[in-house]
Amino acid sequence: MEKRSLWSFHFSTASLVLIPAAVGINYIGKLFAGVLKLPLWLDAIGTILASMLAGPVIGAISGAVNNIIYGLTMDPISFVYGITSLFIGLIAGIMAHKGWIQSWGKAVVVGVAVGLTAVVISTPLNVAFWGGQTGNLWGDAVFAAVMAQTSSIWLASFLDEIVVDLPDKVLVVLAAYAIYRGLPDNVKQMFHRHSQVEDLD
Amino acid sequence: MKSISLYVDRDSILHRIDPVNKMVYILAAIALPILVPNWYMALICMLCSLFLLWIGKVFQKSLPVYGFVFLILITVILIQGLFHPSNETPLFSLGLVTYYREGFLFALWITFRVINIVGSFLILVLTTKPSDLVESLVRRGLSPRFGYVLGSVFQIVPQMMSTMKRITDAQRSRGMETEGKLSVRIKAFLPLIGPVVLSSLIQVKERAMALEVRGFNAKGEKTFLHEEKAYVATRSILWGLWTVMIAAAVWRVFL
Repeated sequence: MEKRSLWSFHFSTASLVLIPAAVGINYIGKLFAGVLKLPLWLDAIGTILASMLAGPVIGAISGAVNNIIYGLTMDPISFVYGITSLFIGLIAGIMAHKGWIQSWGKAVVVGVAVGLTAVVISTPLNVAFWGGQTGNLWGDAVFAAVMAQTSSIWLASFLDEIVVDLPDKVLVVLAAYAIYRGLPDNVKQMFHRHSQVEDLD
Repeated sequence: MKSISLYVDRDSILHRIDPVNKMVYILAAIALPILVPNWYMALICMLCSLFLLWIGKVFQKSLPVYGFVFLILITVILIQGLFHPSNETPLFSLGLVTYYREGFLFALWITFRVINIVGSFLILVLTTKPSDLVESLVRRGLSPRFGYVLGSVFQIVPQMMSTMKRITDAQRSRGMETEGKLSVRIKAFLPLIGPVVLSSLIQVKERAMALEVRGFNAKGEKTFLHEEKAYVATRSILWGLWTVMIAAAVWRVFL
């Protein structure tokens, strides 16, 4: 096993197999949020966890694959937002690598960064696809209010997306961080990119 | 185990078309209304996608998906008609509220486009078995290891869903509350998802080892378990779609 850099595209088998598991965790998060009737999606926990465990490239692929699979199995609109998921995984992975997952306070910063990334990428998609709305009741109420006041689609859509995405993504990152902290070391080590194996012969 | 795919097994001409061609159709359905930005194009593309869904005998199956889309589209029509920046000509007023023509037309245009794009994706999703899609992509040069990743999601997700059910039952039998106030329900989230995540990560380890001893990383020519499916008119459909797209691009640049 050679030393791998942050941007390596040579994936170990473990990190490749992590991708479907991450997609599964995203699914489960969304299902539990539904079962518990939480007013959030919580559907990116797996992506964030994969980024924390195996780095930005695996995180980004997990995000994109998640939306492709989700599009194939539940809701074709999610294909459109695949690029948002990709960037979520990327940003979370880079920040995790730079040491931003050592405390709760730092995890909140990662959450805000991931949330803002999602907002910045999703807003143009919303404007292009829906004319600016998100389909979320509260967000669209904000959209309508801002449109009535300022008549700027971009501002309205941006605020709509912030209301919808930012709290959700912050909580997703915190949930992923809580799970990550609880993981035993032998699980974390599996995907470690800095592991060096000493040869004995 | 419950399958998670939306695929509908029917006998239609669309089921016998190469999945890659359906993906090119999605590209065309998105690109054409952008290249030729007028009403007729949006309308024609939408009708074309709906017609293909009907040809594929999956039109009825597409309705539940459209149900959700329509819900959002209704709010789009409402909000754009009331607040769109270019609103000038009133259509009708109810008390203090006036509904405008420009916003309505804009919303209608969005509606056509959304129905068209969702329809083009549904053609792929409803008439293609996920495993056929993956195999088709691997034959066109996608890395087989990555093909495995895509294909295995369809096995892992149902597995995890049954784990999830087991863990929910286990935690409930230990007296954990999963209903009631919002704070109670939020507190229940981590004890529910934590064990599922941990067990799936341990499975990742086992799966990785199992794959490696079976030569997952072996170098050399990979072969396929199944013979290549015979698809209908693969070449001509592909060329036809690209010709239409290039024609639209040329129209856009020169006219």
